[in-house]
Amino acid sequence: MADMTHIERVMAGLTGEKGDRLPVYPIACGVNRKLIGNGITYREWAHDPKMYAQGFIEGQKKYNYDLCVGLMDLSVMAGDLGAHVRMDEQNTPFVDVPIINNPEDYEKLQVPDVKKGRSAVLIEGTKLYCDYLKDKVITAGFVEGPLLALTQTAGAERVFMDMFTNPSAVHKALETMTAFDVELTKGFGTTGCAGLCWDYLWGNYSCLGDAEYEEFEGCKKYAMGLNELTLKEGMAVAIHNCADLPHLDTQITKFKASIYSMAYYPLIPGSMSAAEVIAGGYTDKCLVGGNLDPQLFIRASVEKITQMTKDLCQEVKTALCKRGLDSPKYCIASGCEVPPDINTKIENIQAMVETGKKYGVMN
Amino acid sequence: MSKEAILNKLSDAVVAGKPAMAKEGAEEALAQKVDPLEAINNGLVKGMSIVGDQYAARQVYLPQVLMSAKTMYTGLDILLPAIPKASMANMKKCATAVVEGDVHDIGKNIVKTMLTASGFVVIDWGKDVPITKIVGDAKSEKLDALALSTLMTPTMDGMKAAVDGLKESGYRKSVKVCIGGAPTSPEFAKEIGADHRDANAQDCATWLKGVL
Repeated sequence: MADMTHIERVMAGLTGEKGDRLPVYPIACGVNRKLIGNGITYREWAHDPKMYAQGFIEGQKKYNYDLCVGLMDLSVMAGDLGAHVRMDEQNTPFVDVPIINNPEDYEKLQVPDVKKGRSAVLIEGTKLYCDYLKDKVITAGFVEGPLLALTQTAGAERVFMDMFTNPSAVHKALETMTAFDVELTKGFGTTGCAGLCWDYLWGNYSCLGDAEYEEFEGCKKYAMGLNELTLKEGMAVAIHNCADLPHLDTQITKFKASIYSMAYYPLIPGSMSAAEVIAGGYTDKCLVGGNLDPQLFIRASVEKITQMTKDLCQEVKTALCKRGLDSPKYCIASGCEVPPDINTKIENIQAMVETGKKYGVMN
Repeated sequence: MSKEAILNKLSDAVVAGKPAMAKEGAEEALAQKVDPLEAINNGLVKGMSIVGDQYAARQVYLPQVLMSAKTMYTGLDILLPAIPKASMANMKKCATAVVEGDVHDIGKNIVKTMLTASGFVVIDWGKDVPITKIVGDAKSEKLDALALSTLMTPTMDGMKAAVDGLKESGYRKSVKVCIGGAPTSPEFAKEIGADHRDANAQDCATWLKGVL
């Protein structure tokens, strides 16, 4: 089969058509600031839409991978809601002072203006890289789901306990978070991105059962409604969930995701390998991406990450073949973001991409 | 109320996640002269063990586990001060901490709960804990075990710094070091010189009970 373009290859995976090889995409986002030069810090990258976009553009130029998904970090929404974000110069920032101190505080949350703060950087930056890359690769924006945004804003432990003792207060806050997500979705709808990737982290059997997840995120008034809005705004629904035991039936089947990005934790019973995900029929329904350990990009040698990528390609191709699928329905990817840590090895990203392209070829 | 009824009340309170009921049960235990250690072990801890088993079997989830833990600690706050110091002399002492630079502490709190439920005296240093404190206090508190956690990649190096610091202080051989958190692995534990890495709080407590 003649070589496909990046877009043709991913479209083949999305539509179930034959493809030349498996798509490849390390979730390399903040780490690509290092490719811009001039020693740009994470703080600078995450506050300037031009620099934010330039990181993705430079990443595409250097690695030439098959997708572009614009993840910043998981403190964007909480920060714009007023929580204090500890902004490391060279690493992932995080909320260190939540703003919910009692059940009454949930009701005080107000949707911020998405044309300000890092929400604006995210939307404007997404538009910039989509303008540049949309003819080369399938592009997507990235946004936190309402329950994730709330746990980042309020502290996860508090939210989980309040689900038990003050569910109405939690629902009130989730309504605000969903309204915030509605504004962000509409904003992303103006950027030209082909998809919007939702982080629905808490659909995880280590944390919530089906009933709890349905009540606090999976239902129509939260995630289901946001997924519908995503489609209405002209974007495909993609989902990222790097939890150990994701709710695949809900998030792939019920949510009708086009792309699903997931991790694999071999030491945790029940965590599904790529072969198990394929055998379970999930790649019949969407293009699944995964599942290389992000730590490999910092701590492994080039030889080790090359071998791990090669093994994953073989595992995936064998499983797709057993399933009777000749479409590239599985993207060779990292299970979560390549750490934006200053010590992440650029050469390991390069090795992963090159190995995926070489050994992902489908016969 | 009979002793058996009080113990059941404490256990039931933890299973149901009802702190007020645990407070009432603990106060009744003291008023009825029930041995506080027995009230803890056969009441609160028994309830937490049931919840731990239910969690492992996915019959309950994190919200319930966290409420049960809060309930257990409500009862412990009343019962622990009533235990004669001599009764606690043989109990192993462990500290839990999320290393400096990280504030994600749910996993650490579950470990703390399971260690407490397994009979350890647990000192919780909380989150974003400076390495100097971990190293210094491990020795001054004469810890038997140390459970370190992080959910973030950059702060994993803090775990290594803690182990290195314990070596330098001369206390490393006296304390078992366990690590946990999504980015960690048994290989990483070996690399930094920790004794153990676990993905499951109950298994971690079981491992520590076995080696101490």
